[in-house]
Amino acid sequence: MHIEAIGCEPLQLRRVHLENSRTLEVYRRNGGYEAIKKVLDSMSPDDVINDVKKSALRGRGGAGFPTGLKWSFVPKDSPKPKYVVCNADESEPGTFKDRYLMERDPHMLIEGMLIAAYALGAKTNYIYTRGEYRYLIDIMDQALAEARAAGLLGEKILGTDFSCEIYTHTGAGAYICGEETALLSSLEGMRGHPRMKPPFPAVSGLYACPTVVNNVETLTAVPDIIKMGGEAYQKLGTEKSGGTKVWSVSGHVNRPGVYELPMGYDDMEKFIMEDCGGIANGRQLKAVIPGGSSVYIMRAEAVIGKDVRMDYEGLVAGGSSVGSGGFIVMDDTVDIFESTKNLTEFYKHESCGWCTPCREGTDWLVKIFKRIDNGGGRADDAQLMLDLCDNIEGKSFCPLGDAAAWPIQSAVKRFPEDFAKHLVGSRKE
Amino acid sequence: MTQDVIKVTINNKDIQVPKGARLIEVCRDSGFDIPSFCYYSDLALQASCRMCLVRIEKMPKLQTSCTITCTDGMVVTTQSEEIEKAQRAMVEFLLANHPLDCPVCDRGGECELQEMAFDWGGLEERFTEKKNYYAERYLSPMVANDPQRCILCKRCTRVCDEWMGEDAIEAGGRGANTVIGTYGGWLDCSQCGNCIEVCPTGTLLDATYRHQARPWELAQTVSTCTYCSDGCQMSLGARGGELMRVVARDRYVNGLNGEFLCIKGRFGHPFVNHEARIRTPMIRYKKGGKLIPATWDDAIRHVASKLDSIANKHGRNSIGIVGSPRLTNEALYLLKKFATDLIGTDNYAVTDSVNLTPFFANLGAPLATHRDIRYAKTIVLIGGEPEELQPLTGKQIRQAVRNGGARLIIFNSVPIRLREQASQFIHIRPGAEEAAVLALAGGATDSLVSRKMGIETAELEKVRGTINETEGDLIIMFDGSLSAAAQSALAQLSYLLRADNRRVLFHPLPLYNNSIGALDMGMTNGAIDVTQMLDAAGRGIRAVCVAGSFLPEQLRGREESLAKLDFLMVQELFETDTTSFADVVLPAASFAEIDGTFTNNDGFVQRVRQSIPPVNQSKADWMITDQLARELGVEFGFGMSASAVFNEIAMQVPGYAGLRYPLLKDESKPVQVKHDIAVQRDISNELETVRTAVEQMDESPEKHNDTPDVGHELFKIRTLTDKVAQFHLLAAGNPRPESLNVSPLYQITLSDDLRAEAVVAGD
Ligand SMILES: Cc1cc2nc3c(=O)[nH]c(=O)nc-3n(C[C@H](O)[C@H](O)[C@H](O)COP(=O)(O)O)c2cc1C
Ligand code: SF4
Ligand code: SF4
Ligand code: FES
Repeated sequence: MHIEAIGCEPLQLRRVHLENSRTLEVYRRNGGYEAIKKVLDSMSPDDVINDVKKSALRGRGGAGFPTGLKWSFVPKDSPKPKYVVCNADESEPGTFKDRYLMERDPHMLIEGMLIAAYALGAKTNYIYTRGEYRYLIDIMDQALAEARAAGLLGEKILGTDFSCEIYTHTGAGAYICGEETALLSSLEGMRGHPRMKPPFPAVSGLYACPTVVNNVETLTAVPDIIKMGGEAYQKLGTEKSGGTKVWSVSGHVNRPGVYELPMGYDDMEKFIMEDCGGIANGRQLKAVIPGGSSVYIMRAEAVIGKDVRMDYEGLVAGGSSVGSGGFIVMDDTVDIFESTKNLTEFYKHESCGWCTPCREGTDWLVKIFKRIDNGGGRADDAQLMLDLCDNIEGKSFCPLGDAAAWPIQSAVKRFPEDFAKHLVGSRKE
Repeated sequence: MTQDVIKVTINNKDIQVPKGARLIEVCRDSGFDIPSFCYYSDLALQASCRMCLVRIEKMPKLQTSCTITCTDGMVVTTQSEEIEKAQRAMVEFLLANHPLDCPVCDRGGECELQEMAFDWGGLEERFTEKKNYYAERYLSPMVANDPQRCILCKRCTRVCDEWMGEDAIEAGGRGANTVIGTYGGWLDCSQCGNCIEVCPTGTLLDATYRHQARPWELAQTVSTCTYCSDGCQMSLGARGGELMRVVARDRYVNGLNGEFLCIKGRFGHPFVNHEARIRTPMIRYKKGGKLIPATWDDAIRHVASKLDSIANKHGRNSIGIVGSPRLTNEALYLLKKFATDLIGTDNYAVTDSVNLTPFFANLGAPLATHRDIRYAKTIVLIGGEPEELQPLTGKQIRQAVRNGGARLIIFNSVPIRLREQASQFIHIRPGAEEAAVLALAGGATDSLVSRKMGIETAELEKVRGTINETEGDLIIMFDGSLSAAAQSALAQLSYLLRADNRRVLFHPLPLYNNSIGALDMGMTNGAIDVTQMLDAAGRGIRAVCVAGSFLPEQLRGREESLAKLDFLMVQELFETDTTSFADVVLPAASFAEIDGTFTNNDGFVQRVRQSIPPVNQSKADWMITDQLARELGVEFGFGMSASAVFNEIAMQVPGYAGLRYPLLKDESKPVQVKHDIAVQRDISNELETVRTAVEQMDESPEKHNDTPDVGHELFKIRTLTDKVAQFHLLAAGNPRPESLNVSPLYQITLSDDLRAEAVVAGD
């Protein structure tokens, strides 16, 4: 796997290539735990929140919500305990950056969580990973033990009055448990169903107490923000999206891997064709899903020669979004009908079943895809699919329903030819 | 209390609503129909069916009106092309995997999904794929299940958890494979069947009524339950003289219980048309001989001549008149009148296990209604086990705590299930309930009462703290086993515990559907009680007329009493230990066959309405008394009219003054009896009595540490529940049958052994 920072100094990827990068010793030797020291020595919780606000850091879990703002929603005067929960569920197809960061640099996450816990007054904190990442729990637990032994975790951290604990927890293998409220339900030991918002977790989250849920990459950005100052961090990126972003690149490129780019990196075409080594096996680019499976699929024509800027606004202008940064590149061998069928099966499998449109809609859509695949396509199936997607989108209880509709809507509209050929007159032998 | 009023605009109509109002309710109250499945008043919000979508200005997408709290200036549209498309889409989704088997579904004709499909369904089915399939099955002897019809609104799981505190059913699986099921495959719960009731579809079904009738064949009659003192309103569904089922579905009935019923109310009715019902009057011409069927005229004549001769020979007081607290007010009133005005005996009584006369004589505050309980701020429960004996009260307490944040203080020698809801569970010694009353009344030192109850004195300080902090209603509940002195002291607690911003209300917990009515009708103030009457049999008491039967616990140790009587007349539905000694047995009509009223533990007088003609040759108890009176030469003049009896009750019983059947017509607005409120008075004598008793209390009894099994009272086999086969399965421990696809009744034989086991388990 290729690891590289392009267009910026590596922040998130600063240590990952080092030998024994996951040890406390290597972490410390390379600037680790300096930020928490700075925080404990000289900053108030509000100073921290303000710095994060200034950094223009936006949540890396997919929704892109400004992190500093989210932290400021936690009611300071609430007598209830507060929690910081790291969302390491990373179930979005095409996304594998959190795994990489935790595997190679677990102390960076611990430090980020300590700073968040300090800023928010949380004493108990959790790292929730997907069930399939059980091996990461061992790595995290070992790092936590090291930190604890070194006085960086537990009672009186670094000899100050600040005390806090971090626990790991695995889910049981459900995509929906990456959605923050379903994650909290699961963490409480209940069925992994999303909860109603409002109230938002910042006000009433884990055990109905104020809770901040942040993605791994969001939290790992925090130590650098503290060290370099919020403004400097923001300047690495754009005005509205500060800092750098880690992309998980997969699919038909010569150098798939984990890439760190500054927010606002100027051209997606260059990124694919040069930075990632171009399309593998000398084939042509056909499509890109830039932000994990839940975003609109883009046609090559929307990328080539279009100067698509890689940040929140740039990707929206380009017809998709940043999402989780799961960058999936497809060459001209890919049948978009097949790839969309595959994704729809994923959403059907992962629909939690709570609400009508997502539960029944994804089931129905998969049945349509299968019927077409078995040669039973009808001329109006594309229209039927679009109509069903319209009946799901914006009507479901949580965004998973939307996420199931978007890939289909964009695929049917942007790759009509791939659907048309499956519909009429293509009965399989 | 003034409430903030805000303005919302719905479909261009400006509407003033109280701040915090729920949008779906506001729309409906303003005449704008909003379709919904998952929304259910006073249950946790679910927002999963997505039927109730509306457009709200300044909000990005359609919003679920069930989750929206109105804010000032909110502008809402409930009807538009966009909204209608979405709503039709939801119905289309819900029907996609639905088997569309309405013609064979018990719910067909009263199914919310079916109705929604009529209003919002498409003309054409676009779903042409294969439907997901699940087999039908039984979840328990009471609950059948057809998972394919489920729309996953989860009303069922929420009532199970929030009303019942059982959490016995939950969804399993995920996505389109989600199926409502049980933990471990068999429903181990109180079998209330509320999940069936609230299910908008034919997914959860009354297993005792499966494929028995179509809803439109049933005549629905609103009536009052004949089991406990909560007085749930129910709809009796009858066809051709047979009572087929009982429901509390809000399309038929809207009483104090909403759609709630307990296992007995819902499933305990098959006794009505049971083949063991007594068919004709019967006379035992010779002691020790057989009961021989007779005509009504002969039987009544026989009774009259016996009573006449015994009264002549032994005096009027040698005749005892006894009524059951299950009878209507009309029957009890007439019995009392028969006893005092016609026979002229002082010896009349009710077969109730407790007598609340001292409580009512000193009543310092009104009775709490079930609605008051739901919105109470603090509830003090002394003794009792409402979740088994007054299940609606149990549910109201649970909701008061869970949805209303009420504080619940329980004094009990048994760790009853409701303690899970208690903010303070005070585990006292068996029999120490009197000490709890004494403590609340400040009638003794904390150290004495704590020692006797076996608790820390700090517990009592905490109780007082909670009471002193209470702003709103403080409700005191107690089961009836308190001594007369303790009842009197308790009834005056309202004067001690009330405050400017605190109202005190009482909620007694008697056991029978008309325990309170029997008291109101004066049947409890005879010269002796039932056990004294039995003890006097053959001596002071020579003849007894009983409407109903003596309780097993009353006959226990007095097995010979009834045999000592010169004459015993019994009005009954079934042969019992009492009828086996009777010289004349008269077939009485059940609650489903008569008109009348019951008075519940709220003091509500509620109507009992005739659903089917009297079974066999039975007659309403009051009519039997009326006929006997006529035979004895007194014409009461009520003809065939129960309402005429009630009119006389309204004239004679002060609390019922001015009442008429038409005023009791609307079960959603029940009428409370005006029980006399006693002025505050000196209760030092009563406290002295209680204190003396408490001082002498034994401090050795061990507290019960085991929480009693669910159903230990509800499943008990008694005269009526004995007639329902399923109760025998439950009383025998609700064994899981081999196959879930066939009713357990066909798989588990109610062998004599099992029956015996059931009786033991239920005793
Ligand atoms: C269906 C669904 C799945 C999600 N999965 C993840 C996930 O695996 N990891 C993650 O960090 N956020 C995920 N999210 C986003 C979270 O709900 C939440 O926005 C995020 O954890 C907040 O952290 P951030 O502000 O740091 O991004 C998911 C959201 C949805 C709707
Ligand atoms: S959209 Fe509905 S069914 Fe789908 S995952 Fe969210 S809550 Fe569950
Ligand atoms: S069984 Fe009935 S009440 Fe329960 S979720 Fe299904 S449709 Fe709703
Ligand atoms: S009634 Fe509002 S979503 Fe079901």
